[in-house]
Amino acid sequence: MKYESQGIAKMYFIAAIGLFVGQILFGVTMGLQYVWGDFLFPAIPFNVARMVHTNLLIVWLLFGFMGSAYFLVPEESERELYAPWLAKIMFWIFLVAGALTILGYLLVPYATLAEMTMNNLLPTMGREFLEQPTITKIGIVIVALAFLFNIGMTILTGKKTVITLVLLTGLAGLAVFFLFSFYVPDNLVLDKYFWWFVVHLWVEGVWELILASFLAYVLIKVTGVDREVIEKWLYIIIAMALISGLVGTGHHFFWIGTPDYWQWLGSIFSALEPIPFFMMTLFAFNVVNKRRRDHANKAAVLWALGTAVMAFLGAGVWGFLHTLAPVNYYTHGTQITAAHGHMAFYGAYVMVVLTMISYSMPIMRGQKAANVKAQALEMWSFWLMTVSMVFITLFLTGAGILQVYLQRYSEAPLPFMVVQDKIAIFYWLRELAGLVFLIGLLLYIYSFFAKGKEVGNIEAIAS
Amino acid sequence: MTNKFQNQQQLKNASNAALASILNLTLLPVIGFIALYSIYKKTKPHNIDHYHAVLGMKINIIAAIVLLLVTALMILLGGFDSPWTWVYVISYFTIVHTTFIMIALWVLVRSWSGDKLFNDA
Ligand code: HEM
Ligand code: HEM
Ligand SMILES: [Fe+2]
Repeated sequence: MKYESQGIAKMYFIAAIGLFVGQILFGVTMGLQYVWGDFLFPAIPFNVARMVHTNLLIVWLLFGFMGSAYFLVPEESERELYAPWLAKIMFWIFLVAGALTILGYLLVPYATLAEMTMNNLLPTMGREFLEQPTITKIGIVIVALAFLFNIGMTILTGKKTVITLVLLTGLAGLAVFFLFSFYVPDNLVLDKYFWWFVVHLWVEGVWELILASFLAYVLIKVTGVDREVIEKWLYIIIAMALISGLVGTGHHFFWIGTPDYWQWLGSIFSALEPIPFFMMTLFAFNVVNKRRRDHANKAAVLWALGTAVMAFLGAGVWGFLHTLAPVNYYTHGTQITAAHGHMAFYGAYVMVVLTMISYSMPIMRGQKAANVKAQALEMWSFWLMTVSMVFITLFLTGAGILQVYLQRYSEAPLPFMVVQDKIAIFYWLRELAGLVFLIGLLLYIYSFFAKGKEVGNIEAIAS
Repeated sequence: MTNKFQNQQQLKNASNAALASILNLTLLPVIGFIALYSIYKKTKPHNIDHYHAVLGMKINIIAAIVLLLVTALMILLGGFDSPWTWVYVISYFTIVHTTFIMIALWVLVRSWSGDKLFNDA
């Protein structure tokens, strides 16, 4: 570790992984409720479990992003973090606020939670992914601003690199677009319209900048390839991400009551959205092919390559699958959407955070890379989680195709619940794959504690 | 590595061939293959551009068989009007198609560095 304050990332990563486990536990709970409706009812109803599952996902990814930024920025900027103490305080504020919110979801009815937190003063609750009580949202803004200030001051008073500037832009965008979560118009069309300003412009806009900069950073570190090469790629990737992603928001405006032209704009621009993901894969492949050294941390290289491939698959391919208006007309809000949501979130954002953890955690623990056995276990967990996520996606896709056909396409459409019964086999299979995912995650955690032969400090020169 | 035997033109041909191969798999089916074939005609055996033109054509011919033929068989055997046919066809086509694109993408970066798909042992 070059700078002491980079070490702050560790607490963020530990919290992220802890919440990740929580997310998956609620995922497999819900997966079972899909086929065994009364499971854990009334203690944990499906809608509550769903809220906890998705909110934990967002919160732990944010922990992961913040930890990654705290590790990356001092090293790139060649100075200590501007205010390490602030990063530590914010960590605890965010963790406590997050935990209280989740407990609130689980312990009191949602309406009571809204009352307790005085939602009526500034009503923002009740929308998917943004269910947090208004005070939690305010807390998130405070944490995000303090974080942005800290990272921003470090970057601006230190050495500026393309990586840190792209990262800063992405993080600033993350904070700015979150502000739309406070704007909840009464008109349902406008409500949905601006809801997507957070949800879509995050994952298909500013988060892509964060993703690209983390990936670029790790790839420079593990391959030793020239910075100039990587920077050119970064420019093209972020330009393509923004050109396609901003107007691409229109792929959510097909059927919500917005004007018809969105069917054209949304279809055309979002059809371009796979390009930046495609470029990221090309970029990662290119850099790894040109590597100047074989880094001791093989697991990190695997995660980086895995991110590039799986982000393309989940966001690029599975996104394109249902993004054209004539297709989306049939698939909107079906299991196809869930299939895509899972693989895209996992392939892009879960995996890039795990890439950053994989690269930085050993360094923060005073090693260049984890020991041989730990790395082997980590790579096993990579395959278990990634392959089971591919299967979750495939099973949901199968369920989705049948659902579309039987419920929306056939001459004699069947009612929703009748169709759900007919596709239950896919939900069982999804649950099975989910359990394998959980095993992979537990193995991942175990890998941090595995003892084994230390890797040599000498780097083999790539042939 | 074969680097010292390559000249600039061969390198350019090689990466164009690999690019045409990807285009045929994605945006420009058939047209991409024609472009690939015309690059192939310009190359001489044992050169890197010849290698990549041939590899690109192999990948695309195999992809065409594996994707189109198997898909057609699935539809013929499963029946056009069966929802299960489409479960298999769409899942199969998407996964296998992406796999070929990923392979062609790796071949592309290998062509950029003037390498074959696998290093000569
Ligand atoms: C890493 C990037 C991405 C992530 C994390 C992501 C995630 C998601 C999620 C969670 C949803 C469901 C939202 C909801 O209704 O609750 C969704 C919907 C959608 N996504 Fe993505 N996505 C990504 C990239 C893309 C791309 C690149 C495309 C297009 C090429 C795309 C196309 C769509 C479409 C069309 C929908 C609406 C589905 C419907 O009508 O039900 N996504 N995405
Ligand atoms: C890192 C892994 C995971 C990620 C990133 C993830 C992400 C998500 C997202 C974004 C949604 C909302 C989907 C939408 O709005 O369309 C969701 C819902 C859901 N997830 Fe996950 N999830 C993961 C793992 C799992 C696992 C292992 C299971 C269980 C087998 C699971 C089961 C579910 C269920 C049942 C829903 C609700 C779907 C519905 O409302 O019909 N998830 N998850
Ligand atoms: Fe979107």
